[in-house]
Amino acid sequence: MRHGSGWWLLAPALLLLLLTFVLPIAMMVPMSFRPYVPLVGITDGFTARYYTRLLTDSYYLEIIGRTLALGFTVTLSTLTIGYPVAFFLARTPSRWRNWLTILVVFPLMLNLVVRTFGWIALLAQNGLVNQALHALGIVESPVKLLFNFAGLLIAMTHIFLPFMVLVLIGAIQNIPRDVEDAARVLGASWGSTFCRVTLPLSAPGILSGSVLVFVLSISALVTPRLLGGPTYQVMSTLIYDEFLQRLNWPAGSAQALLLTLMVLALVYLSGRLARRTGARA
Amino acid sequence: MSGAAPALRVRRLRKSFGAVVAVDEVSLDAAPGEFLSLLGPSGCGKSTLLRMIAGLVEPDGGEIVLAGEDITRVAVHRRNLGLVFQSYALFPHMTVFENVAFGLRRRGVGEPGLGPRVERMLELVRLGPLGARYPRELSGGQQQRVALARALVTEPRVLLLDEPLSNLDALLRDEMRVELKRLQERLGTTMIFVTHDQAEALILSDRVVVMERGRVEQIGRPEEVYRRPATPFVARFLGRANFLAGTVAESEAGRTVVALDGGGLSIVAGPRPGLAPGQPVHVVIRQESIRLEPPPAEAGPAGPNQFAATIVFHAFAGQAHHYVVQLADGRELEVAAPGAAVPLARGARTFVAWRPDDVTLLPGGAPGSGGPR
Repeated sequence: MRHGSGWWLLAPALLLLLLTFVLPIAMMVPMSFRPYVPLVGITDGFTARYYTRLLTDSYYLEIIGRTLALGFTVTLSTLTIGYPVAFFLARTPSRWRNWLTILVVFPLMLNLVVRTFGWIALLAQNGLVNQALHALGIVESPVKLLFNFAGLLIAMTHIFLPFMVLVLIGAIQNIPRDVEDAARVLGASWGSTFCRVTLPLSAPGILSGSVLVFVLSISALVTPRLLGGPTYQVMSTLIYDEFLQRLNWPAGSAQALLLTLMVLALVYLSGRLARRTGARA
Repeated sequence: MSGAAPALRVRRLRKSFGAVVAVDEVSLDAAPGEFLSLLGPSGCGKSTLLRMIAGLVEPDGGEIVLAGEDITRVAVHRRNLGLVFQSYALFPHMTVFENVAFGLRRRGVGEPGLGPRVERMLELVRLGPLGARYPRELSGGQQQRVALARALVTEPRVLLLDEPLSNLDALLRDEMRVELKRLQERLGTTMIFVTHDQAEALILSDRVVVMERGRVEQIGRPEEVYRRPATPFVARFLGRANFLAGTVAESEAGRTVVALDGGGLSIVAGPRPGLAPGQPVHVVIRQESIRLEPPPAEAGPAGPNQFAATIVFHAFAGQAHHYVVQLADGRELEVAAPGAAVPLARGARTFVAWRPDDVTLLPGGAPGSGGPR
């Protein structure tokens, strides 16, 4: 951009980001160091106890670990399920392709709360899934699928799958067919071509889709709240409770800042990874 | 092309896409070490034919025989062919060295043998020191050389080239033509070269296959297809020519005389034993075969194929002057005269003449296809 021309195009977006993101986060930094006294409220002073508690107390460590584990497994499962779907949609010559793509996106048009309640109905003790499993003789007694990791994993995989598929479709469509044809003529079987050419060339899409789904998963609130219940906590529900149930804003601020930091670190690392692979590709 | 068994033999190959017949009963042979061009306008089926030989498109019928082996139903990766794409199609995530090594690795060539072979091939296409670069760091010409090296290093039985020079600018294209031809002569690889550029096909090829609408119009050496086109399409597609409709008036041992439609003009051509008097024909005369001559000093009997004419258009195009001249009966001819000649002004009176041997007669008489184009 010579003479800095063009930067003003970003001004509205930057201003919005400053007011609604950077400023609130900056305000949370002093808040997270102020002591909270029960029955009194937020008092003046300085304390780092919310940070030390967050990083040493096994209760909080378990929640952080669970949040990250959920993020990784949801990312992995959307990638595993989504890649073949995206590959098919990117490559099919069928005239139904646009309709099939809309079908993938369709769940996004439904309200999140409605979708989550749907999953409650499906996954409950006497829900559809358990009834089906029982009828088929696969299980004796109902499997616990609500208020635990399995339930969250299933529902969040479903909810974030469209994001992964959409990003991957774009990435796979960008791979020139000639390059794959060249590999096959040079003696690579279909499988070998996929592993050595198609998959590496779709790496940028895999990376950005994964970052997107991971960030969405670890910061998701509605689904973990409804499917995890009041006891099965992740970081976002914990932060929600600190702020709105216990009114402990300093503790909530510390937790929110940690979550933000984790997201920023991930985005930064993936950006560096993308540049490294991008430098080659 | 008798003698040695053909390196590649295509028999009655067919392919349709929906209602469109892309390749229609095409048969051709390529001799070992031959440079064969598939020439035609876009959409004539030449690329589809090439892709069927490569195995990327499945034919509806016919057979492809490679050095005596029927490969019509053999999987792409087992055909041991080379293919060079117009888009180069290099692997962007691999170095030049790895691009070239790709085919060798798929054939199980071990590390000790691999290095020297890749290096030698890169040396041959004059890319010796660039092995560690990535494709995006190379110019278009260099990328196309990597693609050539990648296809040739496995010593394919036949190298297929799909408009490999079309993405290069004119100067580089000339350079690469020479290089490609040298490489072919040095390695002796049979090459099938798809192009829509008639000059390219004529310069490079041992033989040219002219295609149109999925069919082979003519197969022959470059001089043959240029000087003795078998069909009006070939005559039109290769170089510029004047088309005149007429009827055979006399067919003798030494010459054939054609009376042009709608006028008293007669054209003398070389002997054509196959043509009987009364048969409608197309008379094809190439622009550069027509000479412009000064008017004779005194009005005498004109020689064969010599007519008075008036210049109605002139343009200078470097190597040649382009003229449109009008004959006495109003018909117009396009003429290309050497660029060094002194130009004639519009309205100047002159004579046009051409040798009977330069006249091509094509059986026909399809109305509306006569006249200059």
